Amino acid sequence: MSEFALRLDGVSKAFAGHAAVRDLTLTVPRGGVFGLLGPNGAGKTTTLRMVMDILGADAGEIEILGRPADQAARDRVGYMPEERGLYPRMELEEQLVFMAQIKGLSRKEALARLGPWLERLSLAEWRKRKTNELSKGMQQKAQFIATVLHEPELLIMDEPMSGLDPVGTDVMREVMLDLSRRGATIVLSSHQMDTVERLCARVALLNRGQKVLDGAVAEVKARHGKNTAVLAFEGDGAFLASLPGVARVSDFGRYVEIRMTEGADPQAILAAAASRLRIRRFEIVEPSLHDIFVETVTRHGEEAA
Amino acid sequence: MSGKLWAVVRREYLERVRSKAFIIATLLVPVLMSGMMVVPFFAMRAGGKLLRVAVLDASGSFQTEIEETLRRARFDDKPRFDVRPPGGGTLAERERRLKEAVVAGRLDGYLHLPKDVIESSAASYFGRTVSNRMDLGVLERQVGEVIVSRRLSAAGIDPGEVKGLTRGLDLRTVRLSDAGEKEDRGAAVLVSIILLMILYTSILMWGQLVMTSIIEEKTSRVIEVVASGVPPTQILAGKLLGVGGAGLTQFLVWSVSLLGVSIVAAGPLAGSIPLPDLGLLVLGSFVVFFLLGFAFYASLYASIGAAVNTVQEAQNFVFPVIIPLVLGLMCFPVVLESPDGGLAVALSLVPFLTPLLMFLRIAVLTPPAWQIALSVILLGAAIVGVLFVAGRIYRVGILMYGKKPTFPELMRWVRHI
Repeated sequence: MSEFALRLDGVSKAFAGHAAVRDLTLTVPRGGVFGLLGPNGAGKTTTLRMVMDILGADAGEIEILGRPADQAARDRVGYMPEERGLYPRMELEEQLVFMAQIKGLSRKEALARLGPWLERLSLAEWRKRKTNELSKGMQQKAQFIATVLHEPELLIMDEPMSGLDPVGTDVMREVMLDLSRRGATIVLSSHQMDTVERLCARVALLNRGQKVLDGAVAEVKARHGKNTAVLAFEGDGAFLASLPGVARVSDFGRYVEIRMTEGADPQAILAAAASRLRIRRFEIVEPSLHDIFVETVTRHGEEAA
Repeated sequence: MSGKLWAVVRREYLERVRSKAFIIATLLVPVLMSGMMVVPFFAMRAGGKLLRVAVLDASGSFQTEIEETLRRARFDDKPRFDVRPPGGGTLAERERRLKEAVVAGRLDGYLHLPKDVIESSAASYFGRTVSNRMDLGVLERQVGEVIVSRRLSAAGIDPGEVKGLTRGLDLRTVRLSDAGEKEDRGAAVLVSIILLMILYTSILMWGQLVMTSIIEEKTSRVIEVVASGVPPTQILAGKLLGVGGAGLTQFLVWSVSLLGVSIVAAGPLAGSIPLPDLGLLVLGSFVVFFLLGFAFYASLYASIGAAVNTVQEAQNFVFPVIIPLVLGLMCFPVVLESPDGGLAVALSLVPFLTPLLMFLRIAVLTPPAWQIALSVILLGAAIVGVLFVAGRIYRVGILMYGKKPTFPELMRWVRHI
């Protein structure tokens, strides 16, 4: 058994002269949750579509679960596209059985597995209803069942949490972690950093079709050093950005995150802030993924320009 | 067949067959068709209402004779006219009263014979309705005969003898084929044309259904999920098989119910209802050419469906696809006139005309086997070509949203993936 759930080597794709993905090399180890991050238009969806052979790659190689990506390998993958889609006039049961059948499951087997899933996501009473009679949230859950009913070893989900309410998000996260504990590898793309930070053990960051960063989350954070301070205060903090040793200030409303320049002394910054503001909290923390994301993308943008 | 392809076929088939439109059309058509066969029969048997007419003879020498003739006049063994007396008074008074009676609805019409009717051979009919061509035809013929007889008598010739001598030819048309000889007075041609129309409508309708279902899959975005499990060419194949199967099911229901009607009708109405008398070859080729024509045109429709975003956008592209089919329909008089002529043979071998025109030739003639085989081979090759192109366009198109592609862009989709 290969140690990689997914391996991309030098994969490229261009649309009408515009490079959507450029020479992308990426490995996703087996097990755990892997986050594919990036701003809109970074090439996340294109990459996932190439893995599913919905788009053909212009160049490069793709391996799924240790074998060259063919239909047999893709049958062991569950894919949830960014644009959710179900047949509107099909009964829920028929719909989900069909979705499992096109992944190679028999009707009988699919029907047998369906019950527990419908119970778990509280859709059992909607079993014989047409899809267009279901609420948006129920359709999302149905889509999720369609993705996992054939018990894939690799789950590829494009923005799985988008459009879910908090309860739905919790249910989804729970189920995903459960699947991951039972050995499935999950690759999710997202630009919702808090989701990623809570779920993913490893991440890769794409920008303008290129990988600009990857690794284990802890490692990525460590690489960016303990040079972030969280400051909560009362008063006007506009002057903070111009203090010596401050690289950038991200305002989150109730507090600000201060990114310090290399070698800057946090004590000096605290002292300067305390002289003009009423400080409620000051803490040196690891940078958030959000911060690393914004910083890396900005830097990459400047380099490219 | 692989399980996945089968799943797609099954889904497509069930979605069509369970739709209200399918159920209504499948049940309604046999009812309408048996109605069309049975109702005229009962209408004829019931005989309809007699036409209340009066005769206004200005010449004064025909009144009784024509009234008697009309009373005796029969159509399909039933009297047609209820002849009323014209009343008394001067000619003008009588005419005025007849006009009043017609307008008031007490009379359906009256026949006005001018003074010089023998010389001019002209008369007029005034009626509330003059669209009853059949009755008026009988009236014209009967009155005409009376006037001609009168002229013949005046010339010293015996009208009865003339009638006997000038009897027209009754041409019996018999179709000869391997199956033997069969008397046919045009019913076969009529049935062929009806079948041709059904074939044309079905190919068009089911083809268009493939297109709209692809557009729906794009709109609901479900296609990306399906394409992650089944290669696009297999989705397309499954769609064509499923929808084509639904079309066949409909024909099957129609055939069985028509057969049922004709068996039931055969008892009491034996011989009086013009039941379509079709050979197995004609029915078989109807099914074969439906399937081939459907495969050809539905593939074209599928490419359109994949290329556009909405049904409205599709309309511009649909036109060039319908044209060849309409062309086939327009060529049918040429083929009927000379089903074995060079032009008809050539036209029926053109792949996009074959489904309609070769079927028509088979229905009226039984063409040489090599011509049928050649047409099927050519059409088959064309289908392979169209399927290849459609598969390419489908594969790219199903994930394309936004701007409607131009024709050169479509060609680029076909050339490379």
